[in-house]
Amino acid sequence: MLPIAVAVLASVVGLAIVAVFLTSSIDYYCNVDEIGVRDGCDDARRVRVQGAVDEGSLQSRGGITTFVMSFNGVSLPVDYEGEPGGVFQECIPVVAHGRIVDGVLVATRIEVKHSNEYEAENADRLAQAEKSACS
Amino acid sequence: MNTAPSHVAVASIRGTGTGATRVLGAISLALLVWLVVSALFLTPADVVQGDSVRIMYVHVPAAWVAYLAFITTAVASGCSLVRRHRTLGFDRVAGASAEVGVLFMGMALVTGSLWGRLTWGTFWQWDPRLTTTLFLFITYVGYLAVRQVDVDPQQRARRSAVIALLAVLEIPLVHFSVVLWRSLHQEASVLNADGDVRLDDLMLFTLFSGVVAFTLVFAWLVIHRQRLTALADTERVIGLDSAIAVRRAEVAR
Repeated sequence: MLPIAVAVLASVVGLAIVAVFLTSSIDYYCNVDEIGVRDGCDDARRVRVQGAVDEGSLQSRGGITTFVMSFNGVSLPVDYEGEPGGVFQECIPVVAHGRIVDGVLVATRIEVKHSNEYEAENADRLAQAEKSACS
Repeated sequence: MNTAPSHVAVASIRGTGTGATRVLGAISLALLVWLVVSALFLTPADVVQGDSVRIMYVHVPAAWVAYLAFITTAVASGCSLVRRHRTLGFDRVAGASAEVGVLFMGMALVTGSLWGRLTWGTFWQWDPRLTTTLFLFITYVGYLAVRQVDVDPQQRARRSAVIALLAVLEIPLVHFSVVLWRSLHQEASVLNADGDVRLDDLMLFTLFSGVVAFTLVFAWLVIHRQRLTALADTERVIGLDSAIAVRRAEVAR
């Protein structure tokens, strides 16, 4: 009887994780161009939005980081209180969590979405990366 | 049924190692040393991630070996259900492989979390890959808990075999979660859908070395662990009195 109870408990815990956490994030984010268009990407609710940080848009003033993120030709300004962590920089894809207020995403969390490409760091590549970062 | 070796055989066992396992252990150790040297000193930093890319040489092999371990558990469990005259032997391999798999899966979760903090900017998020991976880990911890329940070994083997055959179905879900759903976790850099390899040469070679090294370590650990379990099972069968008698005979010799 005990093993069955343990198995049932393990299944219940597992299903609870799926039900509570996975459902809300099976698709982890909406792309910028899907806000207000796609199901679950309603701009009246808290959203996770993915897009690349526009070149030249990144500013940090008075502890507030502002930038513009874009995807498929649609842009969205972002305000974030603090310094984003990870390898945050211009031209990199990010996921910003927050609410859209007057057309600006007021973010409470910024995550960098790293690609699956790994390239050696050397002087040539750095120059190349900087040159073609947003192309 | 149990096939307990004689008292003499038990008395002659001084460890779980053999010539073959010692060679396997030595090769594993040599490869691990190479992995450390290559990962820390020879491979370049990544153009975006810098030195944190070096975590990948542990994270990816650990995750792959965890998959391998859980698949081994399922195959051994299937064999234990089919080949009834060798049920316990296969069951011991299944249990040993799951234990080592949980160890490697834990290692993948911890190293992934550290890499996530450095690259994404967060230790953890409930995205599809991370959530399904944690689910897989918890499932096998549950599997090991079921194995600890004190029942007849044959009964234990049957119950755990059924769980192992169900649990292994989670692996495709975990692996393809980044393809099926949008995830913070990136897609595979090797063995991905379009067949491209997105790593520089030495990075790829070091990653491959890591997979080979961890696979050999896995084999070494499983062999020793299942032999240890066999000894524990034998000890249980023979009983304490017999064990004392063996020890007395050994001392008197």
